[in-house]
Amino acid sequence: MENSIEVKNLTKSYGSRLAVSNLNFAVKKGEVFGLLGPNGAGKSTTIDCILGLKPFENGSVRVLGMDPTRERKRLFERVGVQLQSSSYQGNIRVGEVCEEIAALYQSPADYHDLLSQFKLDQYLKQPVAKLSGGEKQKLSVLLALIPQPEVLFLDELTTGLDTEARREVWHVLTALKEKGLTLFLTSHYMDEVEVLCDRICIISQGHALVTDTVPKLIQKSPYKRLEEAYLWVMKEEIAV
Amino acid sequence: MKKFLTLLKIEGKLSLRCVDSIFFGVCMPVGIVILIGLIAGQNPASNDVGYTLIQSSFGALVTVGICATAFMGIPLTIADYRDKKILKHFFVTPVSPTMLLWIHAVINMLLSMVSALLIYAVAKVFFGYEMIGSKLMFIGSYLLVMVSMYSLGLLIASLCRTVKTANVVCSIVYFPMLFLSGATIPFEIFPQQLQVVASLLPLTQGIKLLKSTSLGLETSLLIPLIVLVGSLIIGIILSMRFFRWE
Repeated sequence: MENSIEVKNLTKSYGSRLAVSNLNFAVKKGEVFGLLGPNGAGKSTTIDCILGLKPFENGSVRVLGMDPTRERKRLFERVGVQLQSSSYQGNIRVGEVCEEIAALYQSPADYHDLLSQFKLDQYLKQPVAKLSGGEKQKLSVLLALIPQPEVLFLDELTTGLDTEARREVWHVLTALKEKGLTLFLTSHYMDEVEVLCDRICIISQGHALVTDTVPKLIQKSPYKRLEEAYLWVMKEEIAV
Repeated sequence: MKKFLTLLKIEGKLSLRCVDSIFFGVCMPVGIVILIGLIAGQNPASNDVGYTLIQSSFGALVTVGICATAFMGIPLTIADYRDKKILKHFFVTPVSPTMLLWIHAVINMLLSMVSALLIYAVAKVFFGYEMIGSKLMFIGSYLLVMVSMYSLGLLIASLCRTVKTANVVCSIVYFPMLFLSGATIPFEIFPQQLQVVASLLPLTQGIKLLKSTSLGLETSLLIPLIVLVGSLIIGIILSMRFFRWE
């Protein structure tokens, strides 16, 4: 199967501090890939480098076979992105932010459908600022789906969501996965990772500790659940 | 083009929801022209000139809208959008974030033009204002002052890292420009020393140019033109050098 995302020898530092060190992974088409690690491990930096938002010293990045900086306009017709802690124009209403994002793409999804899938349709005319934290977070995932993406990047997709809202988001994402969507996510919730991800990569201080499928990683560890296995990997800091 | 218009519509609506830009850019100068008209509209500006006070103030009053958009609207919106990572987010869409900057330039241009046209309409309808000089020359000068001030506004947005500093710098720049350049208080009534200081402000030179063209005066406009074109070039070059998307 072809790879949707390819990261080879990615290295990025801020001044003398190494943020990402020699990172390698590939995400196949239709796969859900999770990048895990503690805060400050380099997850968001990695996403920024993959998306061409930050320059890096070494390595190469391909998304759908394209260079994200050189072929930005063509690539981002087919890629949806939710950046960590998104915020919006003051005074903007839910319907307006959807309309604005939809206007940027050649063939956007019908955002009214998405709003009802995420149970946000009753807020169409409401200011985004009046939404609760969880509703705002759902909105940011929804906006990333407007381009009808083939590849979707979600940075901390369900932070701040309540249990019910988390299920709604998972439900939408699993349905899209069945249609062949490739998903790249970061998350701090291991139950979520277990439900959604096919493969994961755990990083610490910019280094990859392990890249494997969820069942195989659990099998290698002395534990039965991903959360314990994750903590075990972090504690050992060994390349499994 | 459709993208541009949709974004213009939405961002325009957002700008109209902020009452302060409408108040400072449109209501205030229109209020001042009514005041001047009521107090001294038909009187000559001074004893020995052939034009009225309202004719002499017109060139200055139309810059109030430019001033409000250039030193409040543009830099504060850009700083806010950068702080909220809205500009950054445009990098992961097929549209360049530069488009968002152009959209706000257009919105602010429209706002200052509405302000200038309203001032003209009020002055003409209620106080019998007629422009003595060439209208075409005046429009040209107006556009030059506008782009020149906007490049300085963009420079403020480029140099200020956060919304907070942008707010402070905008206040420091906006209020002196508004009161010392002659936009609201006639330059001629300032004491000599203050006139010297005020002449250093780019907007003072802009108002000299507009006053001259609106009154059809035969004075040398070399210095105002040099200052305005100079500000424009310096503003653009330094903005390109220091502008950050995030």
